[in-house]
Amino acid sequence: MGDLRTPCGLFFTALGVILCALGVLFPGTRAPLTETNVNLYSGITMLVFGGVMLWLARRSA
Amino acid sequence: MTLARVDYLIFALYFGFVLGIGWLLKKRVATSEDFLTSGRSVPVWITSLAFIAANMGAQEMIGMCASGAKYGIMTAHFYWVGAIPAMLFVGVFMMPFYYGSRARSVPEYLKLRFDEKTRTFNAVTFATMTVFSSGISMYALGLLFGLVLGWSFASSVLLSAAIVLVYTYLGGLTSAIYNEVLQFFLIVLGFSPLAILAVAKAGGWEGMASRLPPVMTHSWKYMSNSAENPMGVEIFGLVAGLGFVLSFGYWCTDFLVVQRALAANSMSGARRTPLIAAFPKMFVPFFVIVPGIAAMALMKMGLGYNLPVKGDSYNYDLALTTLMAQFYPSGMLGVGLTALMASFMSGMAGNVTAFNTVWTYDIYQGHIRKGAADSHYLRVGRLTTVVGVALSVGAAFLVQLYNNLMDLLQLVFAFVNAPLFATFLLGMFWKRTTGHGAFSGLLAGTGAAALTHGLTVAEGKGGWLGAVHQFPSTMAQNFWIAIFAWTTCFLVTILVSLLTRPRPVSELHNLVYGVTDMPPLGGARWYQRPGVLAVVVLVVCVILNIWFG
Repeated sequence: MGDLRTPCGLFFTALGVILCALGVLFPGTRAPLTETNVNLYSGITMLVFGGVMLWLARRSA
Repeated sequence: MTLARVDYLIFALYFGFVLGIGWLLKKRVATSEDFLTSGRSVPVWITSLAFIAANMGAQEMIGMCASGAKYGIMTAHFYWVGAIPAMLFVGVFMMPFYYGSRARSVPEYLKLRFDEKTRTFNAVTFATMTVFSSGISMYALGLLFGLVLGWSFASSVLLSAAIVLVYTYLGGLTSAIYNEVLQFFLIVLGFSPLAILAVAKAGGWEGMASRLPPVMTHSWKYMSNSAENPMGVEIFGLVAGLGFVLSFGYWCTDFLVVQRALAANSMSGARRTPLIAAFPKMFVPFFVIVPGIAAMALMKMGLGYNLPVKGDSYNYDLALTTLMAQFYPSGMLGVGLTALMASFMSGMAGNVTAFNTVWTYDIYQGHIRKGAADSHYLRVGRLTTVVGVALSVGAAFLVQLYNNLMDLLQLVFAFVNAPLFATFLLGMFWKRTTGHGAFSGLLAGTGAAALTHGLTVAEGKGGWLGAVHQFPSTMAQNFWIAIFAWTTCFLVTILVSLLTRPRPVSELHNLVYGVTDMPPLGGARWYQRPGVLAVVVLVVCVILNIWFG
C-alpha cells in the first residue's frame, strides 16, 4: 500500500455515513448548548473530505 | 458524560483503520532501515502532516485549550513565536546537514560531527526522556478518561498502548507516520466544529471580547510589562526564552520531529517538510486555544455552563471535554473523543518510534553489538518497540503512584534540553567547534539551568540554593533558565573548542556549513523552493500577529 489517500478516504466516508444517518434518523437530537443538527453538518463535511481523498487516490492511480 | 452505542462504534471503526494501516504496511518492511527510518521513501505531504501530528499529543490539545481559558489568545505565542520561526529555520538552514550527512538519527549526526561521548550523552538522555514523556502523556489520558467517562485508569492506558504497540510493531516508522496523518485529519475535523459552535454561541470574536477582560483577546498589547499580563512574562523573556532557546531547541534538535523530515523521499522533501507543516501549524490555535477562550465567555452568559472548580481556581484542563459535552450530541461526541484518543496515540507513537531508532542504532549498535547482520538489527528494532511501550506503561503507573515524580522529571528534562540548540548551531555553522567543546558546553549548560533554578523562586518553585531573584511566574522562570543555559553552553563550547584541536576540514564534508555543497534548486518550481515557502509562511504569521495583537 503506497497510497494513504485510499484508507483515509474510506475512513472519513464511513464516519460521514454514520453521522449523516444519525442526523437524518434523529433530526431532533441536540446537545445542551446548541440548536444545530451537529451530526448532520459534521457528517456532510466528513463525506465531502472522504470523497475528495478517494477522488485524489483514483486520479493518481 | 455517558456515551451511546454509536460512540463506541466510532471508537471501534477508528481502531480498526489504524490497525489495518499497520497490517497493510507490514510487507513493506524488509530491512532495519525500512522499519526504523522508513527507508527514506515517504512523500512530502505525508511527512509534513506527520511532522506536526507527532507533536500534537493529547497533553498538548488539553493543555493548550486550558491555557486559552486561563491566559487568552496570548497562548498563541506558543505557536506563532514558539514554533513557526524554528520550523522555518530547521527546514531552510539545518536540514541540508541532517539529511545530507545520511545520519539515521539526531544523536548519530552528533557522532559524525563531534564524537562518541557527545552522541551517547544525547542518545541516553533522549531515550530516557521519550519513555517518560510518553508515560506522562499516557497518565494524563488515563486520568482524563477516568474523570470524563469513568473508564478505569488501567484499562484506558493498556488499551491505547496495546493499539499503538500493534501498529508500530507491524509497520515501524512508516506505519506510525501514515497513522499520524490520519490522526491529524481526525483531530482537525473532530475539533474544529467545536470551535465554530462555541465561538458562535459566545457571540463571535466581538462577543467574546465584550465579555472578557481585554487582556484575554490581545496577544501583544500587554506584553511589555510582566505585571500587566496573566502569564507574568515580558517581551524579552518571551522572545529570547520561548521564541529562540526553547523553540529552536525543540523543533531543530528533537529527534521526535526531525525523524519525520528525515523519512522524506528526497533532500528537497526533507527541507520542505517543516516548511509545509508550518502552514497548518499557524492555524492550530484557532481550533485549540480559541475554544478555551470561548469557554470563559460562555461562563459569563448565564447559560448554565461552568468549568468545574479545583481547589481555589477553575480546573482549566477540563475546558475541552466539558465543551464537547455541551456542544456535541452522541455521534459527534464519539468523534470528538476519538480525536482526543488519536492525538494521544500520535504523540505516543512518535515517542516510541524515536526511542526505537535511537536505542537500536545509537545505543545498541553503537555500544552493545557492533557489526551484526542487518536482520539482527531489524529484530532488535521490533523487540525494542515492545520494550519501549512496556516501559512507557510502567512510567505511566509510576507517575500515578508518585505524583511529584512528574514535576521532577519535567524539570530535569528541561535542564538537559535547554542548552542543546547552542551545540547544534555551533556544530553546523562553525567548523572550528570540537567534540570536547560540544560535550563540555552541554554539561555546563545543563548545570547552568539547574543553578538558575536553584537560585531563583517563582510561585514557590525553585530556590533550593537560596533565593537571589524572584520571578512573577514559573513560566518566566522557565524562559530565563533556558536563556542562561543556552548562553552558558554557547560560551563554554566556543572557549573549549578554541583550546582543543579541531578535526581536519576533510572529515567535515556534508556536516558543516561552508564545507557542504548546498542542495541545488535547479528545476524546482517557485512554490517548491524552501526560501520562497519560508517567506510566505513568515508573512502570513506576521499578519496573524498584527490581527490578534
